Amino acid sequence: MKNYPARNRALLHFIVLPTILLTVGLLGGLRIDAQTRQFIFVAPPLVTLVLAILLGSLFVRAGAIDLHHWLNIEQPTLTNLSHLLTLVALFFASAQAFNSVLPESGLLHWLFSFFFLWTLWTNQFSAFDARRLMKSLVVLFSTAFVLKHLLVSGLYAPEGGWLRRIASALLQGIAIDVPAFAPSTGYISFFALTLYVAGLLLIAPVPVQPGGSLTNTPAVREGALAESSDQTIE
Amino acid sequence: MQRRFIQIAGIIWTLVYAGIIVWIYATEPRSFKEVAANSQVAAGIYEINQEKFNNGLALFRRDQFRAARDEWAGADPAQKDPRTQFYIAYACYREGWGRLYYDEALFKQGLEAVTRAINLAPNGMLTVDDPNLQMHTAAELKTELEQGIERGWKDLNPLKLFRQRK
Repeated sequence: MKNYPARNRALLHFIVLPTILLTVGLLGGLRIDAQTRQFIFVAPPLVTLVLAILLGSLFVRAGAIDLHHWLNIEQPTLTNLSHLLTLVALFFASAQAFNSVLPESGLLHWLFSFFFLWTLWTNQFSAFDARRLMKSLVVLFSTAFVLKHLLVSGLYAPEGGWLRRIASALLQGIAIDVPAFAPSTGYISFFALTLYVAGLLLIAPVPVQPGGSLTNTPAVREGALAESSDQTIE
Repeated sequence: MQRRFIQIAGIIWTLVYAGIIVWIYATEPRSFKEVAANSQVAAGIYEINQEKFNNGLALFRRDQFRAARDEWAGADPAQKDPRTQFYIAYACYREGWGRLYYDEALFKQGLEAVTRAINLAPNGMLTVDDPNLQMHTAAELKTELEQGIERGWKDLNPLKLFRQRK
């Protein structure tokens, strides 16, 4: 008899999950020029790498990733290597998810970066569980997405209306410097963020074990991102 | 056994996919067409479009430099053929050349193209045997373009009016 669940779980964990995370890494920095419709690839700025580290630390603190089970001296080398690659892919996917919702330059870039840093830094000292962290991240990225791709790009669009005039009057003398991207950039960003959230939902706190099932540890029972637990880590 | 196989496949796939992403960000293609051209270069099967190149050459010989450059840009979308880049630089030189002044923007564009040609040529040396040209090496063309961009007292020399375009 074939063990389909074990095989599918292994496929999901070792192939689908890294693919999703790497796709976020690819799309997070992709913009489309408003005039020429050409691709522009924006490498992750340094601040997004710092944000990704803070977010990674939150994943561990909230129990969304149990590092002792992901990387363990008692596991086979192949398993450790595979897990390490997935964690690295998660790091770059996080950096690119931030890159996707950060304005590229100017005052807004630094304002957004500051608010992200502030939020993630204060969260380091809050009581979190995996489910709450997930909700918090969805809200954080959704807000930034709406601000960047709907509000700011709408305000500074060449055909902008009264909102643009008000913003220009209010921010007179301040260099906002918003590059013009095609509306498809917003769609790409939306797709990348959706994939990122899907990737986070697929991450198990304790990875698939050789038997094909998840280990029945407290971390699994309490920490899974997708599980509905309202317990907080005290 | 099956799990081990999936694990190995996953590791290989992750490394390959990550490599592709790094390569895309390093080469910064501007369209899917450029992605395809860059892939051909990476695979070592890149060839310029000879028909477009010949069209460009015909236009160049009729002094239609801008049209020639457009044709050559289409012939070598990945900008990986030293000969085509040499001709693009030459077209910039000829169009930008003036008895009283040089078009600085075109000369800079030409300098970029000839530098690309030199970097792509084996040992950095490129010679084009075209009897219609007066400069046959990329080094000569580069020097001419660099001198055109430089500013100095020699620009005030009235004898400058008698110089010839190469």
